[in-house]
Amino acid sequence: MIFRKNDLEITFGQGIDSSYVGVTRKSFYHYFPSGIYKNHTKNNVIPRMKVLLWFCLLICPICLSAQTFKPENPIQFKIKNAGITVDGTISDWEVAVEFDPKKLTQSSILGSANPAGIQTGIKLRDKHLQGREYFYIQKFPLISLKSKSFRSNGKNSFIGIFELQIRDVMKEVEIPFTLAQTGKNRKFKGEFVIDRLDYGLGEKSLVLSDEVRVVVEF
Amino acid sequence: MKTKHRFNYLQFWSLLFFAIPILGFVANPKLDQIVKFIYVDIPRIWTDEAIKDWELPNSNPEFSAQPVSEEFYYNLPERVIYKTYPVYHPDHEPEGYWEWLNQQEAEIVLDESKLLTEEDYIKAGELLFDYPIDTLGAVINIQHVRNRDFYTATDMPITPEGIMPFAQWVVAGKGKVYLGNLSCAMCHTRVMDDGSLLKGAQGNWPGDKAFAFAMESDDASEKAVQGVTNALFGSPWVEGDPHGKLLARGKEAIIEAYKAVPEGAFGRQGTSILFPPQAPNLIGVKDRKYLDHGGLGQHRNIEDMMRYIAMNQALDFLNFYGDYNPIGLTIERLNSGKPIFFPGTHDRHSDAQLYALAKYVYSLTPPENPNISSAISERGKIIFAEQGCVTCHTPPLFTNNKLTPADGFEVPEEHYDKYDIFDISVGTDHGYTMKTRRGTGYYKIPSLLGLWYRGPFLHDASLAKLEDLFDAARLEDDYVPTGFKPHDVKTKAVKGHEFGMDLNKEDKKALIAYLMTL
Repeated sequence: MIFRKNDLEITFGQGIDSSYVGVTRKSFYHYFPSGIYKNHTKNNVIPRMKVLLWFCLLICPICLSAQTFKPENPIQFKIKNAGITVDGTISDWEVAVEFDPKKLTQSSILGSANPAGIQTGIKLRDKHLQGREYFYIQKFPLISLKSKSFRSNGKNSFIGIFELQIRDVMKEVEIPFTLAQTGKNRKFKGEFVIDRLDYGLGEKSLVLSDEVRVVVEF
Repeated sequence: MKTKHRFNYLQFWSLLFFAIPILGFVANPKLDQIVKFIYVDIPRIWTDEAIKDWELPNSNPEFSAQPVSEEFYYNLPERVIYKTYPVYHPDHEPEGYWEWLNQQEAEIVLDESKLLTEEDYIKAGELLFDYPIDTLGAVINIQHVRNRDFYTATDMPITPEGIMPFAQWVVAGKGKVYLGNLSCAMCHTRVMDDGSLLKGAQGNWPGDKAFAFAMESDDASEKAVQGVTNALFGSPWVEGDPHGKLLARGKEAIIEAYKAVPEGAFGRQGTSILFPPQAPNLIGVKDRKYLDHGGLGQHRNIEDMMRYIAMNQALDFLNFYGDYNPIGLTIERLNSGKPIFFPGTHDRHSDAQLYALAKYVYSLTPPENPNISSAISERGKIIFAEQGCVTCHTPPLFTNNKLTPADGFEVPEEHYDKYDIFDISVGTDHGYTMKTRRGTGYYKIPSLLGLWYRGPFLHDASLAKLEDLFDAARLEDDYVPTGFKPHDVKTKAVKGHEFGMDLNKEDKKALIAYLMTL
């Protein structure tokens, strides 16, 4: 829990405008489980410092090993519109991976994407998708994906439970993914489907499908 | 025991006696309709409460329309509907027709008390649709329509019988034959290529050319031309006051501006001859959520349609926009109780008449489309989807029924909850919606249904054909608009709605073929 909060801060920086904003902008001690500090006042600074020190010692090795990078491949999505499949991409995104197939409980994958970079082949449509009816990038500049748990699904195949936040809606999604490893190179590929209406992306439509298929590869 | 039996028989016969008429009602569909309609409460549409938020604010909200009060409205006398007669081109007028007309007595043709079924209301609505609300010569007069030059100067469409269908003769008594203007049919009737009439369609009445002819042939004074033009379009608060500038240029320039408006567009009061609105297609209007090109009137139910008809038929001349009234009234004069003799403002339709009109307009259906589906149009259908046209022109209405802001208009935050906003501008000319009394800052996303019988296209009728819409040359300043072109320029770019421009020739052809099937 603590790790993920901290890692989020690394991954998203101060730019995220979502419920995480409240988290990242709060004092550090707010990240701890409730109860630990509930009776602390300015007079008990030393015990708090100790806990912080322990916290930093525990978390730093993990922070150092989880590197944030910008994948080459964009996030791809597909949606049916009037019987035609519209292909879209979001190329501005980054991911922090700390994944060990043998230590799934300690693994994590965190991603964030900038919907301002959405492309569907029609500029005006992209602008519309960035607007209030869809991603509303002025208010919600980032999409975030945060792992909660993993389980094996066969050889090099896994299922992750993630928290996906789009706009101000966070929902759990189950994402099956594969990991292909060649030497030091590792390639993750996951594919999942979301209901855009769950996240307030547009409204019910006679021609636009509710389901959006998302492919993530890095 | 006997007594009891007799009682039972009595009960049986009395029940049967009452049941027969009920069974009759059920068995007869006409009677069924009557039962249904007898209990229809005709809505009282002009209440202060309902009028308050019905229209969208002006693009400059300080100058949003303030309509007349409920009390004022219902004090206006109700219109009496007389029998009307067709107006012929002088070369087609039956011999002795004019003399015969002058011998006719006035005949009142609408008796509201006889309207019982929906069919009755629709039929009455058609009568009202064709009925002119003005006999003061608001646009044209007797001497114009009986003059051959009028038809050539305006390129006036007429039917194969030689009827000019946009105005009617109103007989108010023996020797009292007036030319009736300002019926709904005036702007919403189209003379088709085969000479047939299509009621409710985007009309092809060359109204502004006709008005220019009237002013020229009557040798109207400069002051009169300026006065009436100001009443029609004056909006001194808008940026740059383009109508004030036009008036300052004098009679000749003003008349040229009227002449520049093509058939299929019309400078209705509150709009502009500098940014003229395309005459709207009323076929299918029942499904539209906003009325007017700027979406001025919300259309949530039949009462809204009735309100729109009442307002649009000249009552908006009595509106105040801030302290400004188009015909120079003060609040004191408006509410003085003295009649106001300005076309269309001294009387009103009854609520039952408006209900009938709305029912008729709702009943309009398109004619059979001669453009049947083909392999090319089917390919066009795919292109239509691929190009993302469906986002705004969403089937089956081929509009998403939303309002799109014009360039330069910032959508107020509260509008997102109140109205249906598609918050992307497609960059078309913003003049109509930013610089007129009816301007809201938005354009209504139009339905594409019936494109095959419509035109010219775009809200300002600047493109004559669909092909022109996909012609990239229109985006250049040296383009000569094929539809409306302002009177004082030789060329003008027709900007905005830049979709389908990059398609190859064959794909454009396929897309147009599909659009023509809608």
